[in-house]
Amino acid sequence: MAKAFKYGLKGISGFLEPAERELLRSLFADVISMLEPSDRGSEDPLAAMIGLDMEVREPSDRALRRLLPNAVKDDAAASLEFRQLTERSLRESKIGALRAAALGLDKDELVLTPADARHWSTALNDVRLVLAERLDIRDEADADHVHQMQDWSQAEDVESYLALVYNFTTWLQESLVQAMLQSLDKRA
Amino acid sequence: MTLSVALGPDTQESTQTGTAVSTDALTAPDVPWNLVIWNDPVNLMSYVSYVFQSYFGYPETKANKLMLEVHRKGRSIVAHGSKEQVEQHAVAMHGFGLWATVEKATGGDSGGGKRGPGKGKGKRG
Repeated sequence: MAKAFKYGLKGISGFLEPAERELLRSLFADVISMLEPSDRGSEDPLAAMIGLDMEVREPSDRALRRLLPNAVKDDAAASLEFRQLTERSLRESKIGALRAAALGLDKDELVLTPADARHWSTALNDVRLVLAERLDIRDEADADHVHQMQDWSQAEDVESYLALVYNFTTWLQESLVQAMLQSLDKRA
Repeated sequence: MTLSVALGPDTQESTQTGTAVSTDALTAPDVPWNLVIWNDPVNLMSYVSYVFQSYFGYPETKANKLMLEVHRKGRSIVAHGSKEQVEQHAVAMHGFGLWATVEKATGGDSGGGKRGPGKGKGKRG
Protein backbone atom coordinates (compact mmCIF):
# COMPACT_ATOMS: atom_id res chain seq x y z
CA MET A 1 0.00 0.00 0.00
CA ALA A 2 1.02 3.55 -0.72
CA LYS A 3 2.07 5.72 2.20
CA ALA A 4 0.77 9.26 2.59
CA PHE A 5 3.18 12.04 1.65
CA LYS A 6 4.78 13.65 4.65
CA TYR A 7 6.92 16.68 5.29
CA GLY A 8 10.16 16.12 7.15
CA LEU A 9 13.84 16.98 7.24
CA LYS A 10 14.43 15.70 3.71
CA GLY A 11 11.50 17.65 2.34
CA ILE A 12 8.33 15.95 1.12
CA SER A 13 8.56 12.18 0.80
CA GLY A 14 6.20 9.38 -0.06
CA PHE A 15 6.06 5.74 -1.05
CA LEU A 16 4.17 3.95 -3.81
CA GLU A 17 3.92 0.27 -4.73
CA PRO A 18 5.01 -0.70 -8.26
CA ALA A 19 1.38 -1.26 -9.33
CA GLU A 20 0.43 2.19 -8.05
CA ARG A 21 3.32 3.75 -9.96
CA GLU A 22 2.18 1.99 -13.08
CA LEU A 23 -1.36 3.25 -12.60
CA LEU A 24 -0.20 6.84 -12.11
CA ARG A 25 2.16 6.59 -15.07
CA SER A 26 -0.71 5.61 -17.35
CA LEU A 27 -3.03 8.29 -15.90
CA PHE A 28 -0.40 10.99 -16.45
CA ALA A 29 0.19 9.68 -20.00
CA ASP A 30 -3.57 9.75 -20.75
CA VAL A 31 -3.89 13.38 -19.73
CA ILE A 32 -0.71 14.31 -21.64
CA SER A 33 -2.16 12.78 -24.81
CA MET A 34 -5.40 14.74 -24.31
CA LEU A 35 -3.45 17.98 -23.97
CA GLU A 36 -1.04 17.50 -26.87
CA PRO A 37 -2.24 19.79 -29.66
CA SER A 38 -3.39 18.03 -32.80
CA ASP A 39 -0.95 18.19 -35.69
CA ARG A 40 -1.45 21.15 -37.98
CA GLY A 41 0.82 21.22 -40.99
CA SER A 42 -0.36 24.59 -42.22
CA GLU A 43 0.44 26.40 -39.01
CA ASP A 44 2.15 29.78 -39.12
CA PRO A 45 5.62 29.03 -37.67
CA LEU A 46 6.15 32.57 -36.41
CA ALA A 47 2.83 32.57 -34.53
CA ALA A 48 3.73 29.16 -33.07
CA MET A 49 7.09 30.47 -31.93
CA ILE A 50 5.59 33.28 -29.89
CA GLY A 51 2.89 31.04 -28.48
CA LEU A 52 -0.09 32.27 -30.49
CA ASP A 53 -2.64 29.86 -31.85
CA MET A 54 -5.12 31.53 -34.18
CA GLU A 55 -6.72 28.20 -35.15
CA VAL A 56 -7.69 27.32 -31.58
CA ARG A 57 -11.33 26.52 -30.73
CA GLU A 58 -13.16 25.82 -27.48
CA PRO A 59 -12.62 22.07 -26.85
CA SER A 60 -15.66 19.89 -27.57
CA ASP A 61 -14.60 17.29 -24.98
CA ARG A 62 -15.96 18.21 -21.54
CA ALA A 63 -12.91 17.02 -19.65
CA LEU A 64 -10.58 18.99 -21.89
CA ARG A 65 -12.84 22.02 -21.48
CA ARG A 66 -12.41 21.68 -17.72
CA LEU A 67 -8.60 21.61 -18.08
CA LEU A 68 -8.68 24.56 -20.49
CA PRO A 69 -11.73 26.55 -19.38
CA ASN A 70 -13.17 29.73 -20.87
CA ALA A 71 -11.70 32.76 -19.14
CA VAL A 72 -14.64 35.11 -19.71
CA LYS A 73 -18.05 33.96 -18.57
CA ASP A 74 -20.87 34.20 -21.14
CA ASP A 75 -18.62 35.81 -23.73
CA ALA A 76 -17.50 33.31 -26.36
CA ALA A 77 -15.67 35.89 -28.48
CA ALA A 78 -13.59 37.25 -25.60
CA SER A 79 -12.89 33.71 -24.37
CA LEU A 80 -11.71 32.68 -27.83
CA GLU A 81 -9.41 35.67 -28.09
CA PHE A 82 -7.96 34.74 -24.68
CA ARG A 83 -7.44 31.16 -25.89
CA GLN A 84 -5.58 32.34 -28.98
CA LEU A 85 -3.10 34.16 -26.77
CA THR A 86 -2.73 31.72 -23.88
CA GLU A 87 -3.98 28.19 -24.55
CA ARG A 88 -0.84 26.92 -26.22
CA SER A 89 1.39 27.86 -23.29
CA LEU A 90 -1.18 26.58 -20.78
CA ARG A 91 -1.20 23.19 -22.53
CA GLU A 92 2.60 23.18 -22.53
CA SER A 93 2.91 24.01 -18.84
CA LYS A 94 0.38 21.32 -17.90
CA ILE A 95 2.17 18.76 -20.08
CA GLY A 96 5.47 19.82 -18.50
CA ALA A 97 4.14 19.19 -14.97
CA LEU A 98 2.63 15.83 -15.95
CA ARG A 99 5.89 14.72 -17.60
CA ALA A 100 7.94 15.83 -14.59
CA ALA A 101 5.67 13.90 -12.23
CA ALA A 102 5.80 10.83 -14.48
CA LEU A 103 9.62 10.98 -14.54
CA GLY A 104 9.65 11.07 -10.74
CA LEU A 105 7.90 7.71 -10.73
CA ASP A 106 11.05 6.05 -12.06
CA LYS A 107 12.81 6.38 -8.73
CA ASP A 108 12.09 3.93 -5.91
CA GLU A 109 11.82 6.49 -3.16
CA LEU A 110 9.68 9.56 -3.75
CA VAL A 111 11.49 12.56 -2.33
CA LEU A 112 10.07 15.75 -3.77
CA THR A 113 11.80 19.11 -4.07
CA PRO A 114 9.43 22.12 -3.79
CA ALA A 115 9.31 22.25 -7.62
CA ASP A 116 8.60 18.48 -7.83
CA ALA A 117 5.79 18.89 -5.30
CA ARG A 118 4.20 21.68 -7.35
CA HIS A 119 4.38 19.52 -10.48
CA TRP A 120 2.91 16.55 -8.64
CA SER A 121 0.07 18.53 -7.11
CA THR A 122 -1.04 20.06 -10.42
CA ALA A 123 -0.56 16.76 -12.28
CA LEU A 124 -2.71 14.88 -9.74
CA ASN A 125 -5.27 17.67 -9.85
CA ASP A 126 -5.53 17.52 -13.65
CA VAL A 127 -5.91 13.72 -13.50
CA ARG A 128 -8.72 14.13 -10.96
CA LEU A 129 -10.47 16.77 -13.07
CA VAL A 130 -10.48 14.38 -16.04
CA LEU A 131 -11.61 11.37 -13.99
CA ALA A 132 -14.37 13.48 -12.41
CA GLU A 133 -15.74 14.36 -15.86
CA ARG A 134 -15.66 10.70 -16.88
CA LEU A 135 -17.50 9.84 -13.63
CA ASP A 136 -19.99 12.63 -14.26
CA ILE A 137 -19.31 14.33 -10.92
CA ARG A 138 -21.47 17.47 -11.20
CA ASP A 139 -22.04 18.48 -7.58
CA GLU A 140 -21.06 17.69 -4.00
CA ALA A 141 -23.66 14.89 -3.78
CA ASP A 142 -22.11 13.13 -6.80
CA ALA A 143 -18.68 13.55 -5.22
CA ASP A 144 -19.91 12.02 -1.94
CA HIS A 145 -21.45 9.12 -3.81
CA VAL A 146 -18.18 8.37 -5.61
CA HIS A 147 -16.25 8.83 -2.38
CA GLN A 148 -18.15 5.93 -0.76
CA MET A 149 -16.54 3.53 -3.19
CA GLN A 150 -13.49 2.39 -1.23
CA ASP A 151 -13.31 -1.39 -1.54
CA TRP A 152 -11.27 -2.71 -4.46
CA SER A 153 -13.03 -6.08 -4.24
CA GLN A 154 -16.20 -4.23 -5.31
CA ALA A 155 -14.68 -3.09 -8.60
CA GLU A 156 -16.97 -4.87 -11.01
CA ASP A 157 -17.33 -2.45 -13.87
CA VAL A 158 -15.52 0.45 -15.48
CA GLU A 159 -17.37 3.03 -13.42
CA SER A 160 -16.60 1.49 -10.05
CA TYR A 161 -12.98 0.99 -11.11
CA LEU A 162 -12.76 4.66 -12.15
CA ALA A 163 -14.31 5.68 -8.82
CA LEU A 164 -11.65 3.73 -6.91
CA VAL A 165 -8.89 5.25 -9.00
CA TYR A 166 -10.40 8.71 -8.41
CA ASN A 167 -10.50 8.12 -4.66
CA PHE A 168 -6.90 6.90 -4.65
CA THR A 169 -5.67 10.02 -6.49
CA THR A 170 -7.78 12.22 -4.19
CA TRP A 171 -6.22 10.65 -1.11
CA LEU A 172 -2.74 10.99 -2.57
CA GLN A 173 -3.24 14.63 -3.54
CA GLU A 174 -4.73 15.50 -0.14
CA SER A 175 -1.73 14.05 1.67
CA LEU A 176 0.63 15.89 -0.68
CA VAL A 177 -1.16 19.23 -0.20
CA GLN A 178 -1.10 18.82 3.59
CA ALA A 179 2.66 18.26 3.40
CA MET A 180 3.02 21.29 1.11
CA LEU A 181 1.00 23.46 3.52
CA GLN A 182 3.32 22.34 6.33
CA SER A 183 6.34 23.30 4.26
CA LEU A 184 4.77 26.74 3.61
CA ASP A 185 4.36 27.20 7.38
CA LYS A 186 7.99 26.37 7.96
CA ARG A 187 9.19 28.87 5.39
CA ALA A 188 7.02 31.71 6.63
CA MET B 1 10.77 22.72 13.38
CA THR B 2 13.34 24.61 15.32
CA LEU B 3 14.62 26.23 12.16
CA SER B 4 11.67 28.60 12.07
CA VAL B 5 12.15 29.88 15.63
CA ALA B 6 14.13 32.90 14.53
CA LEU B 7 11.26 34.10 12.39
CA GLY B 8 8.27 35.23 14.41
CA PRO B 9 4.88 35.95 12.89
CA ASP B 10 5.73 39.63 12.56
CA THR B 11 8.39 38.89 9.96
CA GLN B 12 5.92 36.94 7.88
CA GLU B 13 5.04 39.69 5.45
CA SER B 14 8.58 40.65 4.64
CA THR B 15 9.50 37.04 3.86
CA GLN B 16 6.71 36.52 1.37
CA THR B 17 7.34 36.32 -2.34
CA GLY B 18 7.34 39.19 -4.78
CA THR B 19 3.99 38.12 -6.20
CA ALA B 20 2.46 38.47 -2.78
CA VAL B 21 3.45 42.03 -2.25
CA SER B 22 2.44 43.24 -5.68
CA THR B 23 -0.95 41.49 -5.60
CA ASP B 24 -1.89 42.86 -2.23
CA ALA B 25 -1.04 46.33 -3.42
CA LEU B 26 -3.59 45.87 -6.19
CA THR B 27 -6.62 45.51 -3.96
CA ALA B 28 -7.39 49.23 -4.24
CA PRO B 29 -11.07 49.77 -5.10
CA ASP B 30 -10.40 51.90 -8.18
CA VAL B 31 -8.78 49.18 -10.29
CA PRO B 32 -11.30 47.98 -12.81
CA TRP B 33 -11.00 44.17 -13.26
CA ASN B 34 -11.77 41.21 -11.00
CA LEU B 35 -10.40 37.68 -10.93
CA VAL B 36 -13.23 35.30 -10.02
CA ILE B 37 -12.76 31.72 -8.81
CA TRP B 38 -15.74 29.37 -9.26
CA ASN B 39 -16.72 26.43 -7.10
CA ASP B 40 -16.47 22.88 -8.38
CA PRO B 41 -16.93 19.55 -6.60
CA VAL B 42 -13.46 18.24 -7.47
CA ASN B 43 -10.79 20.64 -6.26
CA LEU B 44 -9.77 19.94 -2.68
CA MET B 45 -10.41 22.72 -0.17
CA SER B 46 -6.86 22.33 1.11
CA TYR B 47 -5.49 22.63 -2.43
CA VAL B 48 -7.49 25.79 -3.19
CA SER B 49 -6.23 27.35 0.04
CA TYR B 50 -2.69 26.26 -0.81
CA VAL B 51 -2.94 27.93 -4.24
CA PHE B 52 -4.20 31.19 -2.70
CA GLN B 53 -1.36 31.13 -0.15
CA SER B 54 1.45 30.14 -2.46
CA TYR B 55 0.52 32.06 -5.62
CA PHE B 56 -0.97 35.25 -4.17
CA GLY B 57 1.03 35.09 -0.95
CA TYR B 58 -2.16 35.54 1.10
CA PRO B 59 -1.91 34.63 4.80
CA GLU B 60 -3.60 31.38 5.79
CA THR B 61 -6.66 33.10 7.34
CA LYS B 62 -7.35 35.16 4.23
CA ALA B 63 -6.75 32.18 1.92
CA ASN B 64 -9.15 30.01 3.92
CA LYS B 65 -11.78 32.74 4.04
CA LEU B 66 -11.70 33.15 0.25
CA MET B 67 -11.68 29.37 -0.24
CA LEU B 68 -14.79 28.99 1.97
CA GLU B 69 -16.48 31.81 0.10
CA VAL B 70 -15.90 29.94 -3.18
CA HIS B 71 -17.24 26.77 -1.58
CA ARG B 72 -20.36 28.28 0.01
CA LYS B 73 -21.33 31.04 -2.39
CA GLY B 74 -20.21 29.38 -5.58
CA ARG B 75 -17.72 32.07 -6.47
CA SER B 76 -15.37 34.61 -4.96
CA ILE B 77 -13.41 37.59 -6.21
CA VAL B 78 -9.89 36.75 -5.11
CA ALA B 79 -7.88 39.52 -6.78
CA HIS B 80 -8.27 42.85 -8.55
CA GLY B 81 -6.11 44.65 -11.04
CA SER B 82 -5.73 45.84 -14.58
CA LYS B 83 -7.14 43.64 -17.35
CA GLU B 84 -3.64 42.36 -18.16
CA GLN B 85 -2.91 41.56 -14.52
CA VAL B 86 -6.08 39.58 -13.86
CA GLU B 87 -5.71 37.76 -17.19
CA GLN B 88 -2.25 36.70 -16.14
CA HIS B 89 -3.67 35.46 -12.83
CA ALA B 90 -6.42 33.58 -14.71
CA VAL B 91 -3.86 31.67 -16.80
CA ALA B 92 -1.95 30.83 -13.64
CA MET B 93 -5.16 29.61 -11.93
CA HIS B 94 -5.99 27.46 -14.98
CA GLY B 95 -2.47 26.07 -14.70
CA PHE B 96 -3.30 25.00 -11.13
CA GLY B 97 -6.60 23.53 -12.35
CA LEU B 98 -8.83 26.11 -10.68
CA TRP B 99 -11.77 27.49 -12.66
CA ALA B 100 -11.08 31.21 -13.00
CA THR B 101 -12.69 33.95 -15.06
CA VAL B 102 -11.99 37.64 -15.47
CA GLU B 103 -14.67 40.30 -15.35
CA LYS B 104 -14.94 44.05 -15.36
CA ALA B 105 -15.61 45.36 -11.86
CA THR B 106 -19.05 46.94 -12.05
CA GLY B 107 -19.37 47.94 -8.42
CA GLY B 108 -22.77 46.26 -8.18
CA ASP B 109 -21.94 42.57 -8.09
CA SER B 110 -19.05 42.29 -5.72
CA GLY B 111 -19.92 38.70 -4.77
CA GLY B 112 -19.56 39.42 -1.07
CA GLY B 113 -16.02 40.60 -1.63
CA LYS B 114 -16.58 44.09 -0.25
CA ARG B 115 -14.16 44.80 2.51
CA GLY B 116 -13.41 41.07 2.55
CA PRO B 117 -9.72 41.33 3.35
CA GLY B 118 -10.36 43.59 6.35
CA LYS B 119 -12.57 41.11 8.16
CA GLY B 120 -9.69 39.36 9.92
CA LYS B 121 -9.41 42.38 12.26
CA GLY B 122 -5.65 42.33 12.03
CA LYS B 123 -5.34 39.14 14.04
CA ARG B 124 -1.83 37.83 14.02
CA GLY B 125 -0.02 34.56 14.74
